[in-house]
Amino acid sequence: MADERIGVYICHCGTNIAGTVDVEKVAQRIAGLPNVVLAKDYKYMCSEPGQAMIKQDIRDRKLNRVIVASCSPRMHEPTFRKAAQEAGLNPYLVEMANIREQCSWVHMKEPEKATVKAIALVAAAVAKSVFDEPLQMREVPVTPAALVIGGGIAGIQSSLDLADQGFKVHLVEKTPSIGGHMAQLDKTFPTLDCSACILTPKMVDISRHPNISLLAYSEVKAIDGYIGNFKARVLKKPRYVDESKCTGCGLCAEKCPVNVPSEFDLGLGTRKAIYVPFPQAVPLRYTIDRENCLYFKKNICRACEKFCTSGAIDFGQLPAEVELEVGAIIIATGYDLYDAGHKAEYGYGIYRNVINGLEFERLVNASGPTSGKVLRPSDGKAPRSVAFVQCVGSRDKNANLYCSRVCCMASLKQAHQIKEKFPGAEVSIFYIDMRCFGKGYEEFYERVQQEGVRFIRGRVGEILENPDDKNLVLRFEDTLLGEVAEREFDLAVLATGVIPRADTSELQSILKLSRGPDGFFLEAHPKLRPVETNIDGVFLGGAAQGPKDIPDAVAQAGAAASRAAVPLSMGKVELEGIIASVDEDLCSGCRICESVCEYGAIKMKEKSGKQVSSVIEVLCKGCGVCGSACPTKSIKMCHFTDDAILAQVKAVLRD
Amino acid sequence: MKDSKANRVPSWNLAKEVMSRGARIYPLEDLNTLYECVQCGTCVGSCPSGRRTALRIRSMIRGIQMGYREEVLDTNDLWSCTTCYTCQERCPRDVRVTEIVKIVRNIAFEEGRAKERHLVVANNFIKTGHTIPLNEEGKKTRVKLGLSPVPPTSLLFPEALAEIQEIMRTDGFYNKVIRDKK
Repeated sequence: MADERIGVYICHCGTNIAGTVDVEKVAQRIAGLPNVVLAKDYKYMCSEPGQAMIKQDIRDRKLNRVIVASCSPRMHEPTFRKAAQEAGLNPYLVEMANIREQCSWVHMKEPEKATVKAIALVAAAVAKSVFDEPLQMREVPVTPAALVIGGGIAGIQSSLDLADQGFKVHLVEKTPSIGGHMAQLDKTFPTLDCSACILTPKMVDISRHPNISLLAYSEVKAIDGYIGNFKARVLKKPRYVDESKCTGCGLCAEKCPVNVPSEFDLGLGTRKAIYVPFPQAVPLRYTIDRENCLYFKKNICRACEKFCTSGAIDFGQLPAEVELEVGAIIIATGYDLYDAGHKAEYGYGIYRNVINGLEFERLVNASGPTSGKVLRPSDGKAPRSVAFVQCVGSRDKNANLYCSRVCCMASLKQAHQIKEKFPGAEVSIFYIDMRCFGKGYEEFYERVQQEGVRFIRGRVGEILENPDDKNLVLRFEDTLLGEVAEREFDLAVLATGVIPRADTSELQSILKLSRGPDGFFLEAHPKLRPVETNIDGVFLGGAAQGPKDIPDAVAQAGAAASRAAVPLSMGKVELEGIIASVDEDLCSGCRICESVCEYGAIKMKEKSGKQVSSVIEVLCKGCGVCGSACPTKSIKMCHFTDDAILAQVKAVLRD
Repeated sequence: MKDSKANRVPSWNLAKEVMSRGARIYPLEDLNTLYECVQCGTCVGSCPSGRRTALRIRSMIRGIQMGYREEVLDTNDLWSCTTCYTCQERCPRDVRVTEIVKIVRNIAFEEGRAKERHLVVANNFIKTGHTIPLNEEGKKTRVKLGLSPVPPTSLLFPEALAEIQEIMRTDGFYNKVIRDKK
């Protein structure tokens, strides 16, 4: 290994590093190490002249290893790899030593020790680089199609954006119709446009788009593969109605004798056992609810079948499995509402006149169970006083610590609607902080204040019910006055928070995605890669990533489509060259590597009469788990061999 | 700006004192939530005492956060808490409200700031082993309920009372109450 010619570059990062670490001293010390041809320090290595210096040295000084001691490789490893490549050096012969995050930032008050540590880290990188071998990126083709999971406003937006760009889109929706939560809302803040009026045209676009294939009432069961080449298995649940024959005329539902609580109306209204969730459903195809259908329960009735003029009823329909090949996947699975029943002190689920915000939306909606009349559930009377209770299940360590971001505006809008319908009603919003941060939101807050809605700064302690008239007594402190009060209201609306969907874990294990401490799917970088995930080719749209209102969900979904379009339009992708490789002669076939691989990248194969493991290169992420788990040391991690890591350790311990 | 209140300078000293003092009994990481109070008012809205007394437990937590030691330790409200724990149960920031009340009371007590009514109760405890003494009416009620007139506690067993008093002497409670009560 005598012919290694190593160039070392110590970055000042302005004063970020040089303000603490003695960069000149580091360069001097490193210059004396074996194989080091040059060691320089420079103000900004990532700048144009910094990169040019590296390229120049590679050419002039015949460098065949480059060490950059600067920030985290997450920031600039691609920058320096590319620079090396442009000068004709294999990018995997570039090593980085992180002397910013690991030295100057964490040891800001101990400059001398930080310098000693920086020397050790750079020396370790020098020692390791000797073992680095040139590796190749692997290029794979991309299927120009996308899978979008979830048919709420986010999934609809992502699908339309990708389809309009000419890509085939498979939109999978779990329930009988697309539309999601937005279809359940009445008016939207702060503009007060009718939710259905702005949503349904997009739903219709989905059904008409030549590039979109809609798989409603379907669930993703399994996904294999990798960016550019995913294979998804989707289960189409039986509607017991032939989608190709059903015209959506609704005669079946009219004749169906069974009434059950409607999920769409959150149990405030009813639907039939054969139903569409709401009149503008897409696809407008009826579905038989097997649990409640008299034919399935008691082998009687069949009224729908008798009256269906197109012969669409098919009691014998079976679940069907569809296999899809796609290059990218967008997760747009949305959110669930926090169950206010967990906050026993508020009596939700016990006191009938305590409802949640989404229930209010159904009550105030003209197509809802009360035809848009806001009436008290206990006696059907118009409320003369309404309390909105904020932060139920949000900003609460006993529930969810995060802010749900939509409830302040939702309650403002609902308070406005009460005032619009009952100008004389006493409306109070109980809040900790009013968070009206979006465009036009503060202005809407002001408008609602003008309308005479009362704002009481104090989180409600408890709600009691007067057993006689079912009125509610709220106990609270007006913290701005320091006064304790009990006040009676006809109706209380709990602004329940937004939580990850109950089936998040299922999808997480299907795709091996990461989740944040809040339970939502985790983006690859909170600022710079907000719609990407830890899995290449899988993107996040809408509230699956965290609570979002409609404008934010649409923006994020559009961003996800735009990011997904990158590999789809490139037609090919490059995969990382750092992967595992198996020495088949040493492998004992114990399969431990197979069981620890998070990415399903190891499979067994036969080799001269015995089972040995082999790496599916395109799936391998180079994480190294298999290598460290292998009891016979037959798995080698390229770029991180045992020899290289031990050389690093020795270099650190030398002084 | 002559008002002394207007010139007060906030400090974390009282919060730190409360926490280091409380750490003898409660885990410090639990008490640390004191820093997280957002003054939402859930505690006061839930407080059974605050409905009848001037206790605004939220204000007391605020006073501790601001370091207003005299005000926090000298107020009568400190002694109005029933330690029912409802505030602590409901606090969205998991502030150990009730435990903090107990800690502050201990500090106040040590400094001889316990209020007269509390010392009366403490004195009862020293004399009888009970905070509320058993009077003739109490005895009658017990008999009516089919109980012995005097319960089988320190009231019935003077040697047990002596042991309790020994404990109170050892930990300094006894002398403190006698001294403060004068």
